Amino acid sequence: MTTLDIWLGILQGCRVTASVTLYALLFAVPFGLAFGIAQYLTTGLLRFLVTCVIEFWRSSAVIILLFVFYYALPVVGVTLSAMTVAAMVLGLNTGGYASQAVRAGLQTLDHGQKEAGQALGLSRTAILVLIELPQALLVMSPTFINLLIQLIKATSLVSLITLTDMTFRAKEISQVHYEPVPIYLSLLLAYFVLCYPITLFGRWVAQRVTPGREVRRGV
Amino acid sequence: MDQSDKDTVVRIDALQKWYGAFHVLKDISLTVPRGARIVICGPSGSGKSSLIRCVNGLEAYQQGTIDLEGVRLGENAAQTTLARRKTGMVFQSFNLFPHLTVLANCTLALRRVSGMARGEADELASQYLEKVRIPEQAHKYPGQLSGGQQQRVAIARALCMNPRLMLFDEPTSALDPEMIKEVLDVITGLAKDGMTMLCVTHEMGFAREVADEVVFMDHGSIVEKAPPDQFFSQPCHPRAREFLNTLLH
Repeated sequence: MTTLDIWLGILQGCRVTASVTLYALLFAVPFGLAFGIAQYLTTGLLRFLVTCVIEFWRSSAVIILLFVFYYALPVVGVTLSAMTVAAMVLGLNTGGYASQAVRAGLQTLDHGQKEAGQALGLSRTAILVLIELPQALLVMSPTFINLLIQLIKATSLVSLITLTDMTFRAKEISQVHYEPVPIYLSLLLAYFVLCYPITLFGRWVAQRVTPGREVRRGV
Repeated sequence: MDQSDKDTVVRIDALQKWYGAFHVLKDISLTVPRGARIVICGPSGSGKSSLIRCVNGLEAYQQGTIDLEGVRLGENAAQTTLARRKTGMVFQSFNLFPHLTVLANCTLALRRVSGMARGEADELASQYLEKVRIPEQAHKYPGQLSGGQQQRVAIARALCMNPRLMLFDEPTSALDPEMIKEVLDVITGLAKDGMTMLCVTHEMGFAREVADEVVFMDHGSIVEKAPPDQFFSQPCHPRAREFLNTLLH
């Protein structure tokens, strides 16, 4: 089997890898935003409940959640497609991490920003949407890019719940042609090729965001 | 509302505030007539900033009342918001919005609070930027301006909302010495236009020139209230004398 054959074989799984990533983002982005903001704004019991939900998704092992939702839920009558389970579990796990970045970004803003908004008579929602979030999300954008890279790599786990992603294809090929070394090396490279441009983009963003903060503070 | 109420912008009555066990404001009563320019001074920790932050509801207080043109602060959120819109605040650390241009800083509240159309808001904001003498910086970001310019933008931003009362919380304390004058000149100009203002400052030359009343605070109380000539030449209270001496040396 030539290297080209191996590559073409792995490439057949690329669409599933990309789909899982994109669908997972549909869970991760709203969850991260909503729960990060909720944790920032709430206090007392409500904050405790918000934190519980975040911690559940953040602190559980992804692979176990995949198994539980895919293999165990049908026992109690809930059947979800493999793609749904993959997108939800990976998305909410990433969203759990993202929520912490959102909350931290909001908390590290200078308190004077909120006060200036209040002094101008803006509502709490307007202060959040127009003043706090744009700044917090910008500062946290390198973190979000890191999380995206982790998400792409984590999609390799969906091969364990029957989805034919790049990793699943590599396993298939390696079972037919027993050549694990070139096949898995190619797989490794395939993920690298997907993720490295995003790493470079992240570095570019980080450079733009970090010195800018000093300039913006008038230092 | 009788005549005396119409001429009063702020009436603070028997205000008490605690931070936990620490008694920050002790039985403060102060009336600010329309057009008055009151300078509040005193050693750090005397409660000056807490007092003016209470006036626009940035700080909560435990007892007493504050009325802004007849609207009682702190009774409910809607009242507080209403009262807040009558005041403009200038902070020690400017607190401009770094992600917005100078013009957008000024128009944000006009558009989102007053519901003004963009063109109209831009025009109004430009007028105020002209007034603080930086119309040419309208499309820059705050980080590209000097401290003095940033503070003048902050003043323009507050003026855009057409406040009945301007609150200044040590507006020049974070500035390099060479920039203090440009900011004080703008504030002096406002005073000459008849703006009612409460100003916390350590700039005693400015207080002498602009204020029509100096309020001296110490340990959370108003210990002396006098016209500037009298306050600076013959302060009654020993603690005021002590404070002025430390400023001279």
